[in-house]
Amino acid sequence: MKRLQRDAVMLSVIENLGAEGSWCGETHIQKATYFVQELLKVPLEFDFILYKHGPFSFDLRDEITAMRADYLLGLQSRPYPYGPSIVPGESSEMIKEWFPKTLKKYNPAVEFVTDKFGDKGVAELERISTALYVTLTGGVGGSVESRAQRINELKPHVETDEAREAVKIVDEIIEEAREVRTT
Amino acid sequence: MAKRIHEIRDPIHNFIRLDSGEREVLDSRPFQRLRYIHQLALTYLVYPGATHRRFEHSLGVMELAGRVYDIVTEPDNTHESIRTIVPLHDSYDHQYWRRVLRMAALCHDVGHLPFSHAAEKDLLPEGWDHERLTIESIQSREMESIWKDLKIQPDDVAKLAVGPKKYKDATFSDWETILSEIIIGDAFGVDRMDYLLRDSHHAGVAYGKFDYYRLIDTIRILPSEYEDSTEPALGIEEGGLHSAESMLLARYFMYMQLYFHHVRRIYDIHLKDFLKKWLSNGYLPVTLDEHLKLTDNEVTAELQKAARDENHPGHDPARRIINREHFRLLYHRNPDDFHKNPNAAKAIYDAACNKFGAENVRHDPYEQKKSVLDFPILDNDGRIVSSQAKSVTLKNVPIVAVDHVFISPKYRKDAKDWLEQNREIIITRKEVEES
Repeated sequence: MKRLQRDAVMLSVIENLGAEGSWCGETHIQKATYFVQELLKVPLEFDFILYKHGPFSFDLRDEITAMRADYLLGLQSRPYPYGPSIVPGESSEMIKEWFPKTLKKYNPAVEFVTDKFGDKGVAELERISTALYVTLTGGVGGSVESRAQRINELKPHVETDEAREAVKIVDEIIEEAREVRTT
Repeated sequence: MAKRIHEIRDPIHNFIRLDSGEREVLDSRPFQRLRYIHQLALTYLVYPGATHRRFEHSLGVMELAGRVYDIVTEPDNTHESIRTIVPLHDSYDHQYWRRVLRMAALCHDVGHLPFSHAAEKDLLPEGWDHERLTIESIQSREMESIWKDLKIQPDDVAKLAVGPKKYKDATFSDWETILSEIIIGDAFGVDRMDYLLRDSHHAGVAYGKFDYYRLIDTIRILPSEYEDSTEPALGIEEGGLHSAESMLLARYFMYMQLYFHHVRRIYDIHLKDFLKKWLSNGYLPVTLDEHLKLTDNEVTAELQKAARDENHPGHDPARRIINREHFRLLYHRNPDDFHKNPNAAKAIYDAACNKFGAENVRHDPYEQKKSVLDFPILDNDGRIVSSQAKSVTLKNVPIVAVDHVFISPKYRKDAKDWLEQNREIIITRKEVEES
């Protein structure tokens, strides 16, 4: 995908998250993009590793910065003490108009993820996205228990009970996503 | 009695101290090579004072890393909710990680290529970058006995030196993540602190200075509670906010004034063109021994030779550097054009290539990486809040973005006239979506 084409998809993710009521900070965008790319297979080509609040892409952080420089994204203040929201910028409409086919093609995947994530806070997103990371990268067996324990090892501040719940939610999301990917 | 603590005079930090074990690392071949790698590549051709090397910068990073470590692990400065990840003060682990951190800071640049960052992406084989060379150097047989004597694991040093982005296939604990952030973090990495101060000092560009004593005194490890999470991150006490703002503004100004000065950028491009033509197969060596042998000295000697020899494959780019016959700025990014077409500079570059020949035109796009969106602040009421909620300044620090098109001096006037006449037509062409 060309850079501006990818930016158009990212704008769609951010707009949809906002429309679903998300705070839309960097973490929300990181986790939603991880699902769009790794579960729904939209070829955004960001490199994710386990880092801040779960799967994290430094490439995506750089891209968000570049999009701010290009007036495609801006920052919006949120009530004290929270951090800013990332919102579409003054040039965002122009870029979306340039790539109507791309947006149409990936819209079901984007909407599926943003619908799931719009109402979730950082802590929950961290648990769910780490659960997907552990599930996709494997190496710990497929059972809910083994994956929950692995999450607790990787992120000690996530209790095993919370991790177990996150794995179950991810298994449901994976099941539902099959239909989106085949349509 | 043999001296156990050694002092090195430094123009930024006055004295840098290290013990005899740490000096073994300083005296090693990979580290001594940094005496011959300029910190700012060919910037000294524009700012004559900028002749300082990676060697002294790396010493400075080690010094600051130790200072930050001592501050953030001081029991009175440790936030209750993250106490479990910080080793007990003065315990073996506490001392172990202090030494690992200082050595990682000292070695974080040992993989740098001749003339530092210049054109690294185009000059190394696929899958290589200077961080990978840093890892290979730290883990080399040559360094093995030094780490053994220091009783530290080379893998721990390498992990902290390059961080999670570049140390692939390893999981970082929260503690290791924090330590690597102390060195290379986007917000309070001491690598950045030292290079801003040092580059500013040597180049004579005052914009890079800020109150780093105050900043370091206020750095804390804090849970990002304002994000509804308890994951630890590097933040500051509220009293350090102005010095943090000052550092991030310093970074912006230094990028605009110094690092992305257009003449400095075109010299980098000519240097890349020269190296591509001079090096066998167009790539710099990645075997450790060959890497250690190649410094700015060898490249400079060859540049001089090539500039004099018309039959040298790198003659043209070499003479442009040595004789100051560099390409001239034809176009640079501006908001008006950008709103019409985010690819305006690329469009002008493509059109100029068609008109004047690709060999006479160069394109240099760059957008800032590692932006600091947010970090936690411990406010005066004991609450942990977002930096963006506390600081209007931080929210408005501009993002650095440059996009230059350069033209050979022989077409300078023709190209200016041509651009004047065709500019609007070129930049209003929009990108066509492929089906």
